[in-house]
Amino acid sequence: MIIPILAAFAAGLLVILSRQVNGRLSMSTTPLISSFWNHFVGFAFLSVVGLIVGGLIPANIAEMPWRIFTGGAIGVVFVASGSWLITRIGAVNSTLLVIAGQMVFGVIFDLLRGAPVTVWAAGLGVLLILAGMWLTQRKR
Amino acid sequence: MTSPPTQRTNPLHLLAAFASGGLLTLAIFVNGEAGRLGGAMFSSWLAHGVGTLVAIIFLAAVWRGQRAATAAATAKIGKAPLWAYIGGLCGAVTVMLTSISVNSPLALAGTLALGLAGQVVLSLAADFWGLLGLPKRKLDLRDAGAVILIAAGSLLIILFGLGAA
Repeated sequence: MIIPILAAFAAGLLVILSRQVNGRLSMSTTPLISSFWNHFVGFAFLSVVGLIVGGLIPANIAEMPWRIFTGGAIGVVFVASGSWLITRIGAVNSTLLVIAGQMVFGVIFDLLRGAPVTVWAAGLGVLLILAGMWLTQRKR
Repeated sequence: MTSPPTQRTNPLHLLAAFASGGLLTLAIFVNGEAGRLGGAMFSSWLAHGVGTLVAIIFLAAVWRGQRAATAAATAKIGKAPLWAYIGGLCGAVTVMLTSISVNSPLALAGTLALGLAGQVVLSLAADFWGLLGLPKRKLDLRDAGAVILIAAGSLLIILFGLGAA
């Protein structure tokens, strides 16, 4: 059980490490160029791993719904905006507000598509998040 | 650092960060669907491949401005170190780590909760020490309050708000 726990925690560390590293690249280039390198290096690495392990590309890829191909396009904008933001509002604010947006829009999204939502917990969670966001934007 | 750390944050920047979290929700949703159809590695490989192509198209459309901006940035703070180009490795490895924990008793909720903890810990350290060449930021009680409120709200949503009946 210790290995999955460490894996999940390390995944969180890596999310921030990548934003920090991409942010540094964007300081010497631009957020869009930084986002390109992020995707290109990730793609090259995963292609190599896929060649070694095998079975990366499913046989039925042509029959998959078109929307699964949109994730990468959204990702380019997300990674570029992360680099742009971290150099302006810092790591803690970036982390907190991205998580806040992910949670609040996640609840709205699930409500819209009719997925099960426990209203008291989701509502209280959103209220706590909004209170936290109010703290980040107060003038010092 | 040549410039003093900015303490006053622009509310529009904070709003943009919040909105980008909404983009992340959408990306995770469609990438999750790709993962169910073809596996986590395939999903990540596809997202990085499509992302590479889309970034090239965007760059081609605005190349003159990007080249000028890069020249100006490099003149101001110097070339980026080589390690700054391999941020993409982190994202690729993240997928492998989360697929270990999602398929364990931790499931999706535990993976998200522990991942959130990892994000908060490293971003606090990053601002405190100004890790990897980014500006240092002073942290105060208000940051602590924001961390506690947003983390508590997120854990409530992750553990009790979504998925459960």
